[in-house]
Amino acid sequence: MDLNGPRSAAAGPPREPPGLESLHLGGGDAGGFTALLELPPTQAVELLHFADPSSQATAVAVAGIGLDVSPPPPPIHSYGASLTFPSNSVLLERAARFSVMANEKQQQNGNVSGETTTTTTSSNSNLDRVKTEPGETDSSSQRLENNRCGKRKELDKKVKGSATKKKSKSSEENEKLPYVHVRARRGQATDSHSLAERARREKINARMKLLQELVPGCDKIQGTALVLDEIINHVQSLQRQVEMLSMRLAAVNPRIDFNLDTLLASENGSLMDGSFNGTAMQLAWPHQVTETEQSFHHRQLQPPQPQQWTYDGLNQPPWGREEDQGHGNEHTSLMAVSENMMVGSASLHPNQVKMEM
Amino acid sequence: MASADKPINTDVPEKDVFALHFLQSLSNLRRQNTFNSPEKTNDRVKKIKKAAYVSMARAAGGTSRLWSRALLRRAAKETNKVVRFSRRKKRVTWLRRRSNRRDPVEEEEKEAERLRNLVPGGGAMETSKLIEETAYYIKCLSMQVKVMQCLVDGLSPK
Repeated sequence: MDLNGPRSAAAGPPREPPGLESLHLGGGDAGGFTALLELPPTQAVELLHFADPSSQATAVAVAGIGLDVSPPPPPIHSYGASLTFPSNSVLLERAARFSVMANEKQQQNGNVSGETTTTTTSSNSNLDRVKTEPGETDSSSQRLENNRCGKRKELDKKVKGSATKKKSKSSEENEKLPYVHVRARRGQATDSHSLAERARREKINARMKLLQELVPGCDKIQGTALVLDEIINHVQSLQRQVEMLSMRLAAVNPRIDFNLDTLLASENGSLMDGSFNGTAMQLAWPHQVTETEQSFHHRQLQPPQPQQWTYDGLNQPPWGREEDQGHGNEHTSLMAVSENMMVGSASLHPNQVKMEM
Repeated sequence: MASADKPINTDVPEKDVFALHFLQSLSNLRRQNTFNSPEKTNDRVKKIKKAAYVSMARAAGGTSRLWSRALLRRAAKETNKVVRFSRRKKRVTWLRRRSNRRDPVEEEEKEAERLRNLVPGGGAMETSKLIEETAYYIKCLSMQVKVMQCLVDGLSPK
């Protein structure tokens, strides 16, 4: 053990560059892996456990970081601490590349290729699995992936026109993080604009979900642009419906003149003859009115008041007109309207006005 | 900050509220017209439509919502025949200056622009607020459509 100790300690640092190079060159098998680690076996086991039992590669990457940063055996949670050192940025880039290389090595024992794009997803998934490990490993792994995201984000920010990248990035982060709230990340903390932008984006997404539930048929669609298209279509169709209904109302208009007045005035005195269910409706209305009276009073006191006097003034003329026109049609239409309103529970207005009088 | 917006309130009053306001506005219209209604149908349609929107704005919570305020303001101004766009443009430029560099690229901002044109008062709102107002507006519109449908069904000749 004594021999092992100093040997490992001595062999650790000088072993780093060749270790890194060997990783870089893609030379690796089990023997090389353990030789590379140059750590006591317990720690190697810890590292393996930390990364994933199945993926040695990530353990190698993390071990690479560990070798670079802290020579003596560091506990797992201090990886996070060590990772927050500002000098680690370069090392983290290396680590990113390493895990990529390591993944490639995992998939195929070939040479190292410089591409990071195709394997980022797999490395991300690895990190996802890493992240889900409970305990202290959480913060460190998250910070690791956050740093990687920070790297990519910084690159994106420099490009400045890459809107789609930003969208994918934000969605990526939302997948990764178990919680959704704004948090300062490495490589980004100083940039208040991006923080605010991310907060804004999350707000927007939350409300878009609301809208999606509202508009029928928007649940299946993915992507905000298409959902917005649907919403715009819906709003336009509703507005067109309003316009069409108002046209139809205008066509019916000559009859509304008298009907509405009579309808509105009829409740005051219940003087309508032939109103077979007029009394029934009046009986039905008061209890509905009492419920909503407070809300009405609370909400607006002004608009109804000027109307009250007009209703008083309207009482006499409609009766005169009604007698001129004859009772039958008017009454049935009025009753029909009233019934429709009742069905739609939309008939509180006359009694409402009456109560306020 | 993002998690502070959890209780987004999009409750809309019941249909009877809408019906009350609409009928009130209609009766107002009748009072304003001469009883022979000599005007053309188009004018009448426009008046009814305007009455519909105004009553909807009032029913949907008076001035507590941006779009209702904008609707009411627009209606009031139309009676005075004053152009209504001044305030809107000012706010839009202020917002645009901050976020202009990436707006033309994003798909979403184009849609938001269209939405702004549709929803009254949309020019003065930031995108997240716009979406919230749109949700409320859609609910109110559908309620208003139901009320008008009931009315038309009730009054159309059998």
